[in-house]
Amino acid sequence: MAENKLKAKEQAFKELSSKDKTKKITDLLLNNAMYIIIVLAVIYISIKVPAFLKLPSIVNVISLTAAKLPIALGIGGCIVLTGTDISAGRVVGLTACISASLLTTTFKVFPDMASAPPIIVVLLVILVAGGLVGLVNGFSVAKFKLHPFIVTLSTQLIVYGIILMYLMKGTNNGQTLSGLTDGYRNLITGTLFSIPTATGNVAVPKYVLYSIILVILMWVIWNKTTFGKNMFAVGSNEEAANVSGVNVSRTIIMVFVLAGMMYALTGFLDGARIASANANTGLNYECDAIAACVIGGVSFVGGIGRISGIVVGVLLLQIIFTGLNFLAVDANMLYIIKGLIILIACAIDMRKYLVKK
Amino acid sequence: MEESKQQPEQQTRQLRGLYSKVKISVRTLNIIIVVLVALLIGCMAFGISKGGFRVSFDTQGGTPVEMQSGIMYGEKMEPPEIPTREGFEFDGWYSDPEGTMVFDTESDPVTESITLYAKWKEK
Repeated sequence: MAENKLKAKEQAFKELSSKDKTKKITDLLLNNAMYIIIVLAVIYISIKVPAFLKLPSIVNVISLTAAKLPIALGIGGCIVLTGTDISAGRVVGLTACISASLLTTTFKVFPDMASAPPIIVVLLVILVAGGLVGLVNGFSVAKFKLHPFIVTLSTQLIVYGIILMYLMKGTNNGQTLSGLTDGYRNLITGTLFSIPTATGNVAVPKYVLYSIILVILMWVIWNKTTFGKNMFAVGSNEEAANVSGVNVSRTIIMVFVLAGMMYALTGFLDGARIASANANTGLNYECDAIAACVIGGVSFVGGIGRISGIVVGVLLLQIIFTGLNFLAVDANMLYIIKGLIILIACAIDMRKYLVKK
Repeated sequence: MEESKQQPEQQTRQLRGLYSKVKISVRTLNIIIVVLVALLIGCMAFGISKGGFRVSFDTQGGTPVEMQSGIMYGEKMEPPEIPTREGFEFDGWYSDPEGTMVFDTESDPVTESITLYAKWKEK
């Protein structure tokens, strides 16, 4: 079957005039430019540093992808609404700091506390904190019709201020929070299963499983619920959605609240993953997440995007940056490369839109 | 009002999203993409050719130690010279200023650019 289809495509391609042929090839090359670059880079890196394709490195890439997935899944929804969310990284930082200050053995922020509260309580607290920031974002976007860039820029600053003040509480004096409880660390970074290799076992951490669960959950929300369908309707045409009876404001607010909760979960995972939290935790996470979404085909046109695309986007970005780290590329240069990747991904996204128009 | 209602679906589609006001031809955009891709490859090539992590040493009051550069991923650094400080005894290199995470300069591989901090014990 597949072969027949391929042949039919080949036949159709041969029948095109030479001008159309070049057009088709240019389309194909330019629309997939990002993927082509990444594949070429991976080939180059794996020739230069063979350890890049070894199991420990692959597990490392998968774990880091899992750690960055929830935030991208949250931002994806905001981009579907033609918006974005640049407060994401700071919310991750805030929730990581809250988790690290409560689930600890030293209690520098709350000197009066004697023992750590149950993990589930802390989880609820950070979900509420993330959801609240999302609510402020969503409410301002939906009711005041402000652009998400402006709204989330202000909440980003506000949340950063809150983090700094939170870290000054008690006897902490702005220092890095560490000394997390074993229960919290085991829950997140404990071994899910380990793969035996010649040089020793490679452990896959538990948070990979949590990320997979979140991906499935978000897939169901996006594709199988009324809320998900409303989200795409509002994203592709707000007025048409309004006319057909969708509660636009409520949908926008819910998308931002859901996103806020996803950032909170990222922060919860990150606190235990890094084993500490400070004012810089989560810095610039939103850039990676937005880049991943755009590479994964979540379009700024609105109403276009798939969960699978986001997963692929995060994975590709992680592969290329792990690879560049293997080649010992300077961290300062990585920022420039990241910025260029976002620009190219947007240009390609825009091109697809213009060609369709 | 009448007019906007009669607009075909295609035209209303143009009015949405961040690209609603974009006035650029596909041809120009192609050139932009190609230029950006070339720039990206250039940056990567430059980054790779200048590759190598830096290890700098913060002696926290002791004699300065020269920084090392050009260390590739997973390599070990050259053993740094041991700093001295009046009235104190050197107590090893740490990856944080507070001196809680010890860094063994002889066996720990370098996987990113780092700064190591000296820890001092009073004599």
